Amino acid sequence: MDASTCPHIASVISTADESGSPLKKFREVVAWEVRRGQAVKNPAKRRKISAPTCGTCEIALHRPFVCLHCSYAGCWKSGHVSAHLKQSRHQFCADVKSGSIFCSECQDFVYHSKVDEIYLESTVAVEEEETRFQVSKKRREPYQVWHPTAEDTRALNNSVAIPCQGRRGLLNLGQTCFMNVVLQSFVHNPLLRNYFLGDKHNHKQCKVEEDCTCCEMDKLFTEIFSDETTAYGPINFLVSTWRKSAELAGYAQQDAHEFFISTLNHIHSNCRGSTNVSCNCIIHLTFAGQLQSDVVCERCRNVTSTVDPMLDISLELKGTDNTIAACLKRYTQPEKLGAKQYSCAKCGKGAQEASKRLSIKKLPPVLSFQFKRFEHKTADKSSARKIDSQIRFPAVLNMAPFTTLGMKSSEKENSYPGPAAMYEYDLFAVINHEGQINNGHYTNYARFEDEWYRFDDDKVTHATLSACLNSKAYMCFYVKRHLDYKPYMTPTYVLLRENEAVREKEKELERERERLKEQARRDRELEDSLLAMV
Amino acid sequence: MAPVTPAELDALQAQLTQRLLESGEWDRIKFILASKLNDSGWTDDIRNQSKERARTMEPLSFATLLEEMSAHSQTSMPLAVRKEIVALIRGYLDKQLE
Repeated sequence: MDASTCPHIASVISTADESGSPLKKFREVVAWEVRRGQAVKNPAKRRKISAPTCGTCEIALHRPFVCLHCSYAGCWKSGHVSAHLKQSRHQFCADVKSGSIFCSECQDFVYHSKVDEIYLESTVAVEEEETRFQVSKKRREPYQVWHPTAEDTRALNNSVAIPCQGRRGLLNLGQTCFMNVVLQSFVHNPLLRNYFLGDKHNHKQCKVEEDCTCCEMDKLFTEIFSDETTAYGPINFLVSTWRKSAELAGYAQQDAHEFFISTLNHIHSNCRGSTNVSCNCIIHLTFAGQLQSDVVCERCRNVTSTVDPMLDISLELKGTDNTIAACLKRYTQPEKLGAKQYSCAKCGKGAQEASKRLSIKKLPPVLSFQFKRFEHKTADKSSARKIDSQIRFPAVLNMAPFTTLGMKSSEKENSYPGPAAMYEYDLFAVINHEGQINNGHYTNYARFEDEWYRFDDDKVTHATLSACLNSKAYMCFYVKRHLDYKPYMTPTYVLLRENEAVREKEKELERERERLKEQARRDRELEDSLLAMV
Repeated sequence: MAPVTPAELDALQAQLTQRLLESGEWDRIKFILASKLNDSGWTDDIRNQSKERARTMEPLSFATLLEEMSAHSQTSMPLAVRKEIVALIRGYLDKQLE
């Protein structure tokens, strides 16, 4: 998949020995920039931030371009660095900030997947040195590149590659667009996709008798990533959903968000080893975050904190300033509790004035937002009103200001909430609803690698980011740009199995010892009785 | 106050740039600028325009794209954001020149 048209960078990369290579310098440059960025945000280190100067005009560089063959650094805009490359016959320079490489021969920025890999490796390696976990203060688990074993290589070599698009329409089975849009958001969800394409739940080997939603998901992914180009009708998925959630049954239009939550719960309950506390199923690994609620007593400033799990965030729409940032700000702002609602455990003087504030304690790898467009005045669904206003949402979302740690660090002077990589999310799917509550239609946008597509049941068309951002969103899905790894711990069920095996062995040894003792006792009795006869 | 020569202004600007960079203030202001531009939708707008322009450009050249997008990016910057950032820079400079 090397879309590189620059033969010069390709030949550099094919050279195995990196010691004299511009790639070695590139790694150093990337690492330097990450460290410099951390020094900026971490005021505890009150040293001067290094500011290189241009080798030609000597002005301090705010956007240095570094020659990958010598120690020259220079400005881009005034042409100093490209002049240096020409004069010294040096081939490559790199933009320190973005890690982009410029080829002097091609007179253009050039791309190679290997360069992207090196950039990512170098960045992550430096970030790992500097970030600590919140509670244990331990360092992050080092990222390890996957190397195929001989078995893996054999399996890969023996497999048959099939052409597939990964973008396939879904047939509307009768007002089922609410289901189709949610299924498309699952298909384009990198964590769910990797789980099912990685054969983690093989529907041919699953022991569940009937209506296993995980099997339905596995079948869905098989269909989407097949070589079929015609639309697919997820009939079994629909029927299975009806059987498990009676409230969603029938041919009437349903709410996509209800179907979303319901399906998440079905998948969770069908996953092997799922539990009700700290579940490790794919749904919880993907969607589960933690919401912290801090209640501050106005009188004694005592803070009571509670942490609740969350699978998604539902945002209220108020007034005219409707952007995700504004909605999240409202969601996490302090709210005064009525005097009757709270009595402080510490100063305990009966009903107190208190304020409550929500913040996100733990960010999930996939963040799902629902905009509460359907206002229910009463319990009767048909009396609801739809808020049809435009909501602005970004392609890149930084969640730091809405997290517990982020909010705390902005209040304290010398606190470092961690690198942006911990908080940055990329939009990958948007669900739209047009029309009124009872007779509307659902469609969705989804991103496949770097391109956006519009999905209208069986019709899939290429779209632009702009078209997606200008659509009226009902739900938005973001995926974290970098995943955080916990230090590896042997799963509980494996530990239990091992403990069982150890206990069995001990019992066996005990039985053996008893048997030998019994044998020895009988031998002695025999001896005694023989002696008695003499 | 004696009039300042262009050469002296250049030297002063160079010195202030260096101080901004070495104190980390440049990056902090840049971060705020980037956040505000993203919140306003400007970043996504520029990203989309550049991408769609590049899709049909033959031959594709960074220099041409940069030239075409530069002027527009400057003028389409939301006024409120521009004012805020200018105020931040001015605040820092005032402290430096006390």
